[in-house]
Amino acid sequence: MSNRPILLVEDNPDDVELTRIAFAEAKIANPLHVVGNGSEALDYLFGRGAQAAHNGEDAPALVLLDLNMPRMDGREVLQAIRAEASTRSLPVVVMTTSAEPFDVEACYALGANSYIRKPVDFDQFMGAVKQVGMYWLVLNHPRSG
Amino acid sequence: MMPDPHAAPAPAEGAGFPPQASAVHADDGGDRLRACQEELAALQKEQALVSYGIAHDLRAPLRAIDGFSAMLEANSGDVLDAAGLDYLARIRAAASRMASLIDGLQALSRASHDQIDLTSVDASLLAEWALAELRDAEPGRAVEVDVQPGIRVRADERQLKLLFDQLLHNAWKFSAGADAVRITVSAERRDDRVVIHVRDQGSGFDPRHAARAFEPFQRVHGPDEGGGHGLGLAIARRIATRLGGSIGVDAVAGEGCTFHVELPAGGAHRT
Repeated sequence: MSNRPILLVEDNPDDVELTRIAFAEAKIANPLHVVGNGSEALDYLFGRGAQAAHNGEDAPALVLLDLNMPRMDGREVLQAIRAEASTRSLPVVVMTTSAEPFDVEACYALGANSYIRKPVDFDQFMGAVKQVGMYWLVLNHPRSG
Repeated sequence: MMPDPHAAPAPAEGAGFPPQASAVHADDGGDRLRACQEELAALQKEQALVSYGIAHDLRAPLRAIDGFSAMLEANSGDVLDAAGLDYLARIRAAASRMASLIDGLQALSRASHDQIDLTSVDASLLAEWALAELRDAEPGRAVEVDVQPGIRVRADERQLKLLFDQLLHNAWKFSAGADAVRITVSAERRDDRVVIHVRDQGSGFDPRHAARAFEPFQRVHGPDEGGGHGLGLAIARRIATRLGGSIGVDAVAGEGCTFHVELPAGGAHRT
């Protein structure tokens, strides 16, 4: 298991904390890098703006993406990630509260690898985050380079 | 004349629906009709967006309430007394009830706004499927079900499944006191219509409440009697109406109830 970071794109501080707890309980050691909106996510991924010093060495192993965020929302982030050669095959898991069929459709059409509806029940939420971490960080064999 | 489900407003999510060209005449009445239809479409679109917002934005704080209560219990449970632990359990149970209520509101919105695609549908299969899901959720329960095979109606498959989910969940939970759940689904043909009967032998209710049972939030049972979010039968009626059918109930307190869903008949061999 690599120790590359997980990029969590989430504007709700409660969900950030619950996700942190879930990864800690699942003993997933990859550092969690949190950004609160879409443009910060792209700054981080493309090493620009406030993230200009970051040189791509610590490209994330996985992006967890919320959909509904102020300014640039998750769909636009997904679109930008897939449009850029360096991030085209980066695993992106949409984790959101919505299970509306049109949101699910839109995300897969834009190239999401997976779509998870965040459960309200904490035990189910823990189970979901743990399984996502195990699958994408341990079981899944990523494309090299 | 029976309502034509094709003419019923069936907007795609957020898309509104086009005015019915055939109903618009080239006179002032037509213009007014068109204006009303446009206003109705705008209102429906707004209502769908509000329902979407409610479902999405109310879930996030609930997750925080349940999650941090669970963490408090896990990390600080040993410094809380029995009353403190009881309060935490109540907080979590309330969050769970509210989550189920939000799910219900979302299903009601979906029953009202989702696009309807009418085909000949095997209703027996959908009922079996809904029952299989109930069995999965409560595998320990003794269940006797009898579904008449080959019931064909003209309906939207997803919506009819949602209707069965509501009726069978109802039958299931109000059989809670009985030693076994006994549910039968049968049907009879009446001309070009099919009447489906969903019968349970659960707690039933006073038939004087039958009309009220289909109104949103009108519960015939309290929470200690298996009462839920109070939207299940409202969802079922909304769907039956949009599919060009109707729904009714015969109930006897203490002996169970039978729901009757009347729908247009489906072709015998079409898929």
